[in-house]
Amino acid sequence: MTDEMTTSVQLAARHLTRHFSVRTPGRLFDAKRVVRAVDDVSLDLVGGEVVAVVGESGSGKSVLARMLARIVKPTSGDLVLQGKPIEIKSKRTLDYASQVQLVLQDPFASMNPVHRMSHNLLRPLLIHGASKHDAPGLAEAALRRVSLEPPSRFLESYPHELSGGQLQRVSIARALCIQPKVLLADEPISMLDVSVRLGVLNLLRGLCDNDRLAILYITHDIASARYIADSIIVMYAGQVVEQSRGTTLVDEPTHPYTQLLIASVPDPSDPTRDAPPTGERAQTAIAAKGCRFSPRCPHVMDRCRVEEPPAFIVGEDHTSKCWLYADHEAAVEVALPTRRKEGETART
Amino acid sequence: MTTESTEVGSVVKSDTPPAAPSTDTTRQVVASTIANDRAMGERILDVRDFSVDYGWGESAVRAVDNVDVHIDRSKVLGIAGESGSGKSTLVYAITRLLRAPGVITSGEARFNLGSDEDGDHVIDLVTASERELRSLRWSSISIVLQSALSALNPVVRVGAQFEQVLKTHRHDMSKVERRARAAELLGLVDLNEDRLDRFPHELSGGQRQRIMIALALTLDPQLVIMDEPTTALDVVTQREIISELFELRSRFGFAMIFITHDLSLLTELADEIVVMYAGALVERATARELYEAPRHPYTLGLLDSFPPMHGERTELSGIPGTPPDLAHLPTGCSFHPRCPFAMARCTNETPPLIEIEGSGRSVACWLHVGDAGGAVPVELNRVSASNASPSERLPEVSS
Repeated sequence: MTDEMTTSVQLAARHLTRHFSVRTPGRLFDAKRVVRAVDDVSLDLVGGEVVAVVGESGSGKSVLARMLARIVKPTSGDLVLQGKPIEIKSKRTLDYASQVQLVLQDPFASMNPVHRMSHNLLRPLLIHGASKHDAPGLAEAALRRVSLEPPSRFLESYPHELSGGQLQRVSIARALCIQPKVLLADEPISMLDVSVRLGVLNLLRGLCDNDRLAILYITHDIASARYIADSIIVMYAGQVVEQSRGTTLVDEPTHPYTQLLIASVPDPSDPTRDAPPTGERAQTAIAAKGCRFSPRCPHVMDRCRVEEPPAFIVGEDHTSKCWLYADHEAAVEVALPTRRKEGETART
Repeated sequence: MTTESTEVGSVVKSDTPPAAPSTDTTRQVVASTIANDRAMGERILDVRDFSVDYGWGESAVRAVDNVDVHIDRSKVLGIAGESGSGKSTLVYAITRLLRAPGVITSGEARFNLGSDEDGDHVIDLVTASERELRSLRWSSISIVLQSALSALNPVVRVGAQFEQVLKTHRHDMSKVERRARAAELLGLVDLNEDRLDRFPHELSGGQRQRIMIALALTLDPQLVIMDEPTTALDVVTQREIISELFELRSRFGFAMIFITHDLSLLTELADEIVVMYAGALVERATARELYEAPRHPYTLGLLDSFPPMHGERTELSGIPGTPPDLAHLPTGCSFHPRCPFAMARCTNETPPLIEIEGSGRSVACWLHVGDAGGAVPVELNRVSASNASPSERLPEVSS
C-alpha cells in the first residue's frame, strides 16, 4: 500500500469475524452450536466514497455495521482507524465514537420520544465536549446540512410531530453534529416512504462528495446500492461473496447468488423476462461445509459441497467467491483497492 | 361488458364456477336473499363513491375520499400508494374489517356472487349484515396481511388454523378430509405436509406468508386481497412467492387486489393499477400504460423514485417535500405543494378523477383538463408503446 492510500482510508477492517453461540434445547442436554454471523470480512472506508453492503436478512450486514461502530465486539479481526490499530477487545472510547457514527434503520425508534429534537441533538454535542454556549449553534448547523430549514422549528419539535423522512434526516444530523469522519448507515431508507427515499440517498451522496465523509451504506435493495455506491459488497450468510468497484457487480454479476438477487428485483422495464432459476428452496438454509450458497445454487458442483471457495479475481477490482471461476487468480488481499482511478469522477 | 381477450380471461370462464359449490350451504343462503340486482357481468367487485373517516364530527379525518374502484374476474388490480394514502383503509373498509374509529361515510361496494338462471347475485358489502359477511369471508373474499406472524394465531399449530376455517364453512367434511385438504393446500404453496404440526414461530417469514396464502385459498375464493404480502420479505423470497401466486391464479382463476408501495413490483404483475395519494385516487391505467406513460405528476415522481438496475447512473430527484398530514390537507389538489407542474388553479380547486378523452384511463390533474390540454408537459404526455393507437388523442407537444 502506498502512503497516499493509507492516509485516505478512514476506517479499515481486516478479517472481521463474529460468532454467536446459541443453545437449542435437546431432549437431555441443550445442543450448542455456533452461528457464524460475520466471517472474515475485510473492507476499507475511504473519505469521499460510499461502500454499499447488500444482503438479505440474516446475512450479517447489520452485525458488521455494529462491529465497525464497536457496539458489538468482534470474535476476531482487526480495525484500523485513520492508520491507528484499535484494540478490539477493549471498550469503545469516546474518541472512536466521535470519529465513527452509526445511523439506524428505524428513525422512530432511535429518537427519545419524550424529548424535543433539541435534547436529542444537544446531548451528543455536550458529551463530546462542546460548550453549552456553542452547542445550539452547532445543532442548527447540523440540521442545515441535512436540509431541514428552518432549524429552529425542528429543534422545538417532538419526534411524533415529524415525518419518517424528516426524522431520518434529524438522526443523520445527530450523527454529523460531532463532525465524524465515518458514517455507518444501516438500512437508512428502508422504513421511509418511497417518495422521500431518494432525497435521503442524495443527501448521503452529497455529504460524501462535499464533506469527504466515508460512508458505509447497508441495504437489502441492490438498486439503491447501484445508485449511490462507489463500490459494492454482496454478503451471503456472513461472508462476502462478491465485490466490485462501481456498478460492475450489478451490470455483470458473476456469483450465482448475486445473479439470483438481481434476477429477483422487480424490473418493469423488461416485461418479457422469465422467472429466475432457483436451486432448492431458501429454507434449506446454509451449508455447514463447502460453499454456504451451495444448497441453493443452480450451478452447484461436487467440489462446492466439500470445499469452500476463495475469492477469485474475475475482473478489474472485481472478486467473486465461487468455484466457477477456479481458473482465475485467487485474490490475496480480500479488501478491494479503494483508491479512485485517475480521471474517474465521483459519479456520472 | 366485454372481457379482454387475454389468457387470463379465458381461464376464468373454464375454471371459475359460476355459482357456489353445492356443499357450501352458507353461500347459498346469502345468494338467495339478494337476487336480480343490477347486472355486473364479468365485474366481481364494484366500489363507488367510497369514503372513510377516522373519528366523528369535528375531529374526523378523511382517510379515503370518494374512491371508485372495480375489478373483473381473475384480473389483478394493483393499489399503489405511500403510507397514509388510504390504500389499506380502503380494502379494510370494503371488506368491513375496519374497526372504530374508522367509519364508512358514503358509498357502496357491490360484490358479485355469481350468476345462475335467476341472474346475477349481488351483495352490497357496505350494508351486508354480520351474518352475511361471515359467510362471505374466506369463502368468497379472503385477505392476506402484511405481517403473517401477527395474522396467524401464535399459540395454535398451523394445521389447526386450517381446521378451524374448514370446520366453520364446510360442515360435511370429516376430520380426515379436512386434514387431507390442508395438506393439499400446503402442497400448492410448495410446503411439506409436516408443517401442519408446527407453530407459526417455528417457520421462516417466507413460509408463514406461504401459509397465509394457502389459508386464503382454502375455500376457493373468487377474490383474494393481498395487503403488502411481500413487503417484509427478502427480494428472492418475494420473487418466489409472487411467481407461485400467479401460478395458483392461473389454475384457480381468482381475482386479486394487490396493495403495495412498490410501484415497480405492481407494474410487473398487475393488469390495472390505481394510484392513491392522500386518500384519493389520482390515476388509473393499465400497468404498462402507467409505467410507460404516467399522466399524473405524482405517478411520474413515484416511478422516478426507483433507481434503475441498468443504464447510466443519473441523479434522480424523487419527490420533494413530505407526504401530507391527512388532518391538515393542503387546499385544492393535495399534491400541489410537491408538484413540479403546479399552476395557480391547483392551489384552490381540487381536480376530479376524469377519463382522458379516448384513452380509457383516468387521472385527477388539472393539466389534463380542457383548455390546459395543449400545455401538458412533455414528461406527462408520452405515448405508451403498448397503446400507440389512433385513439391516443392527446395533442403532441413539440419539444
